Amino acid sequence: MTPTYYLLLSALLFSIGTIGVLVRRNAIVVFMCIELMLNAVNLTLVTFARVNGQLDGQVMAFFVMVVAAAEVVVGLAIIMSIFRTRRSASVDDSNLLKY
Amino acid sequence: MQEQFLAQAQQQVNAPDIAYGAIAPVLIVLGFACLSVLVEAFVAKERRWGLQIGVAAAAIVLAGASLAAFISSNDAAGGPTGKTGVTTLAGAVSVDKPALFLWGTLLALGVLALLLIADRTVGGDMQTEVFPLFLFALGGMMVFCAANNLLTMFIALEVLSLPLYLMCGLARKRRLISQEAAVKYFLLGAFASAFFLYGLALLYGYAGSVKLADIATAAVGTDRSDTLLFGGLGLLVVGLLFKGSVGPFHTWTPDVYQGAPTSVTAFMAACTKVAAFGGILRVLTVAFQSTQWEWRGVLWGVAIASMAIGAIFGLTQTDVKRMIAYSSVAHAGFLLVGAIAMNTDGLSSTLFYLLAYGFTTIASFGVISLVRSGSGEATDLSQWAGLAKRSPLLAGVFTFLLLALAGIPLTSGFIGKFVVFSAALRDGMAPLVVIALVFSAVAAFFYLRVVVLMYFSEPAEDGPTVSVPGAFTTVAITLGTFVTLLLGVLPGFVLNWASSGGFLS
Amino acid sequence: MLEAFEAAAPSSGLDPYVPLVALFVLAAAFAVFSVAAAPLVGPRRYNKAKLDAYECGIEPSPQPIVGGGRMPVAYYLTAMLFILFDIEMVFLYPFAVTSDQLGFFGVVEIVLFIATVGFAYAYVWRRGGLDWN
Repeated sequence: MTPTYYLLLSALLFSIGTIGVLVRRNAIVVFMCIELMLNAVNLTLVTFARVNGQLDGQVMAFFVMVVAAAEVVVGLAIIMSIFRTRRSASVDDSNLLKY
Repeated sequence: MQEQFLAQAQQQVNAPDIAYGAIAPVLIVLGFACLSVLVEAFVAKERRWGLQIGVAAAAIVLAGASLAAFISSNDAAGGPTGKTGVTTLAGAVSVDKPALFLWGTLLALGVLALLLIADRTVGGDMQTEVFPLFLFALGGMMVFCAANNLLTMFIALEVLSLPLYLMCGLARKRRLISQEAAVKYFLLGAFASAFFLYGLALLYGYAGSVKLADIATAAVGTDRSDTLLFGGLGLLVVGLLFKGSVGPFHTWTPDVYQGAPTSVTAFMAACTKVAAFGGILRVLTVAFQSTQWEWRGVLWGVAIASMAIGAIFGLTQTDVKRMIAYSSVAHAGFLLVGAIAMNTDGLSSTLFYLLAYGFTTIASFGVISLVRSGSGEATDLSQWAGLAKRSPLLAGVFTFLLLALAGIPLTSGFIGKFVVFSAALRDGMAPLVVIALVFSAVAAFFYLRVVVLMYFSEPAEDGPTVSVPGAFTTVAITLGTFVTLLLGVLPGFVLNWASSGGFLS
Repeated sequence: MLEAFEAAAPSSGLDPYVPLVALFVLAAAFAVFSVAAAPLVGPRRYNKAKLDAYECGIEPSPQPIVGGGRMPVAYYLTAMLFILFDIEMVFLYPFAVTSDQLGFFGVVEIVLFIATVGFAYAYVWRRGGLDWN
C-alpha cells in the first residue's frame, strides 16, 4: 500500500476546502467547505494510523466526526437565526461591521 | 494488515489512573455546566435567571476552593517548592504549576465576567442559556491550558469555542449586528480549527503520537520528514494564534468585539486570550523547544506584525469597542514576545501579563457597558467627548484603565510589559524589544487620545448618559481596577506564583 | 471478533474478498430480478402518488409559495438534532470492542457519557425541540 496517494488526496481535498472558504460567498457553502477540510483531515489521520499500525488515528477520526457534527449544529443554528432576521445567507450581505 | 490491527485490539487496555484531586476544578465547572443545562430544562422561566446565577457562582467558588485545596496539598508534598504537579488521565492532562496558575487566573476572571453577564440593570437582557454556555466555555478553557496531548487540546478548543460563538449572537437589542458577529466568528473560528486539526494530523504522522512529549522526543531524532514536522507545526500554530487574536490572524477580533454583547466581549477578550496563550506556551515549550531555532524567526515576524497592526489600525478607530479590540491585537503581539522567549522568565512573565491584562480588560468593558445613549451603548468615540464633565468618577476609572493598557508606571500594565521585555532581552532578542517599545509608544497615543477627548472636549448636546451601575457591575469594575492598581504597586506575590515552576509533560 | 469472518472465508487459498464479490453479485441479481419481475407479475393501477418521484415525505414540487420555496424550518431543527444524537453514538463502537478489557471502569465511563447526552436530550425535550410545531 502506498500512503503517499492517500496523503496527496487528502491534501488536495483540504486545499479545495480552503479555496472554497476563501472564494465562496454563501455562508452555507463556506461551511460545507470547512466540513470538507475536516474530512480531509480524517483521511490523513486514518492513513497515518495505517502507516503506523496503530488504532489511535482511527479513534481520533471518530472524535473529529463528532466535533464536526457539533460544529454543524452550532453553525446551522447561527446561520438559521441570522437568516430569520435578514432573509439571506450571503456573507456579502453581512455588512454592518466594517473598518 | 488485518492481523496487525487485531494484535493491537488484543492488547490489554488498562483503565487510566485519575488524580481526582488535581482535576477537581475542571470536573466541578463542567459538572455544574451540565446541572445548569438541567436547570434550563426543568425550572420555570421566571425563576431561571436567579437560579442560574447561583449555579454558575457556586461552580466557580467550589472550583476555586478545590483548586486552593489541591495547591496546598501539592505544595505540602515534595521538596521546598512543592511538587511540580501531576500528569493524569493517561497523560492527557498535565496539572503543573503553569496550569494551576492559569486555572486560578481563569476562575478569577470568570467571576468578574459572570458579574458583568449577570447584571441585567445596564446591559443585555440575554437568554438564560448564557450561563450554561459560559460554564462550558470556562471548563473548555481550563482543559485547554492543561491539555498535554493535541487531541485533548483540540476537543478543549471546540468546547471553549462553540459556546462562545453562540454567546456572541445572544444580544436582544442590536440583534442584527450581534448575529453577524456570531456568524463571522463561527466561520472564521471553524476555519482556524480545521487548520489546527490538519496540523495535528501531520504531527501524528510525524511522531506516531499526538502527545506533546512524544513529539518532542521525535523531533530530536533527525531521520524523519521535516516537511511533516514544520508543516504540522505551522498549521497548528495558525489555529492557536487565531484564538489568541494575534497579528495577521486577528481579522475576526474587531467585528466580534463590537458585535457581541459587551459582557460577553469582556469574557471573551480576557479569558480566551488567557487560554489561547496558555496553549501556545505549552505547545511551544513542551513539544517544540528543541527545534526553536527553525521556527522562532517566523514568530518574530508574527509578533511584529501583530504589534504593528494593533497599534496602527487602533489609531484610526472611531468605535471604542473596536479600539479596545485592536489594542488586544497589539497586546497579543507583546504576549507573543514573552511566549517565544523560551526561558523560565519568558513563561512566568507571560503568565503575569495575561493575569494583569485580563483584569484590566474586563474592567474596561464594564465601564464601556455603562456609557449609554437612547438606543443602547454609546460606543462611538465622538459621543464620549467631555464625559469627564458629566461623570468624573467614571472618566477617572476609565483613564486609569487606559493608562494600564498603555503600560504607564504604577499600573499592572507597566509591570507586565517590563517583565516580558526583560525576559526577552535576557534571551537575546534586543531588536524585537526595541520594536515592541516603539509600538507600545504608538499604541499609548491612541489611549491618550481617548483620555484627551474625555477631559478636554466640550460634551455634545445629545451626548450619552451614564447609567447607574447595578451592584454586580460596580463590584466587577471595582475589583478589576483594584487588581490593576495592586499588581502595579505590589506585583511580588503574583510574580512569585507565576515563576514557581515550569511545564510538566 | 473477526474469527467468524475468517472462518467463513474458504480456506483453499481464495482471496478473502471473494465473499464480498459474491454478496455484490447476489444484491445486483436481486435488484435486477425485482425490477424485471414487477411489471410482469404485479397489478397495474396508476394514481397520482405513484407517479411522484417519492411516494412518501413531502411534495418535491411545487414547493410552498410562502418562504420562497423553502422547506419549513422544523425540518432543519429535526435534522440537526438527529445528526447530533446519531453521531454521539459513534463512541459506543470503541467501547463495545474493548468493553471486556476495560471492565467495570469502562461501564461507569460509558454510563456517564450517556447521562451527559441525556442531559442535552432532557433540555431539547423540555424546551420543545421535539415538537413539530
